[in-house]
Amino acid sequence: MSAATAHHDEAHGHEPSYAQQTKSNRLGLWLFFFSELFLFGALFAARFALWGNTRPELSQVLGLIVTSILLVSGYFMYRAEVAIAHDDRKTFLSSLLAAAFLGIVFFVGVVILEWNVFGLELNAFGVEWFGRLKPRDGVYGGVFFAMTGMHALHVLSGVILILFVWNNGRKGHFSPEQHWGVEATALYWHYVDVIWVFFYPALYLIGHLA
Amino acid sequence: MNERKAAAYRRGLMTLLILAALTAVEYGVGVTLTDPRVVLFLIALLKAAVIVQSFMHIYRLWREESHE
Repeated sequence: MSAATAHHDEAHGHEPSYAQQTKSNRLGLWLFFFSELFLFGALFAARFALWGNTRPELSQVLGLIVTSILLVSGYFMYRAEVAIAHDDRKTFLSSLLAAAFLGIVFFVGVVILEWNVFGLELNAFGVEWFGRLKPRDGVYGGVFFAMTGMHALHVLSGVILILFVWNNGRKGHFSPEQHWGVEATALYWHYVDVIWVFFYPALYLIGHLA
Repeated sequence: MNERKAAAYRRGLMTLLILAALTAVEYGVGVTLTDPRVVLFLIALLKAAVIVQSFMHIYRLWREESHE
């Protein structure tokens, strides 16, 4: 046996187990989250640098509603992960669909209602359901649309990931022992939630009306 | 197995209730205090910590492989 062949065999004799691979993947994903903190952190800092202790006129109730929807969506994602870990496929699939549906509702809440892309007006139950702020409205519009836009992009990609996992799960691709794809998607979804935990008060609650 | 699954579901529901309560407090503080910056930042930190610990299982990073 030549030295090159022996080296080749040795290299392939140490294929990492699924558990070891998952551990590495997990660390890699957390490092990715850390890198993304610089992006969201910069937006967060820009809000305080440019708005100071002021804020634009936004519907605080609408902010509370979309925040609550995202929190409940996170719960269903957690439920999906627990379900696949215990081989409860029915709950796994239905929880994924619930998480994706609520993610879409959040996305629609931000884009259709808060951004008001169709220029609508509705005042019901004492709540202004469609936003008035536009991207051209100086630093208020610029910061608001940059923060919510970047976050909404992550929500949208998260929803696509969840639906991808749901489709694979429907075909029986995951098991209680091997479901890194589910865990990674859940981690990503909760990370998007964590970002909103900081964005929500920064946008809707902190500061005097400008 | 079923007991562990039920306990995990309960843990998730408890986490959601804690987050909902913190969000309600956050909203109340935000609309009543004149300068709520520090309090809201602390509440946001607490909410993030709850999500990172209970939903994101950060402890798995330095624990032997397990999905529990």
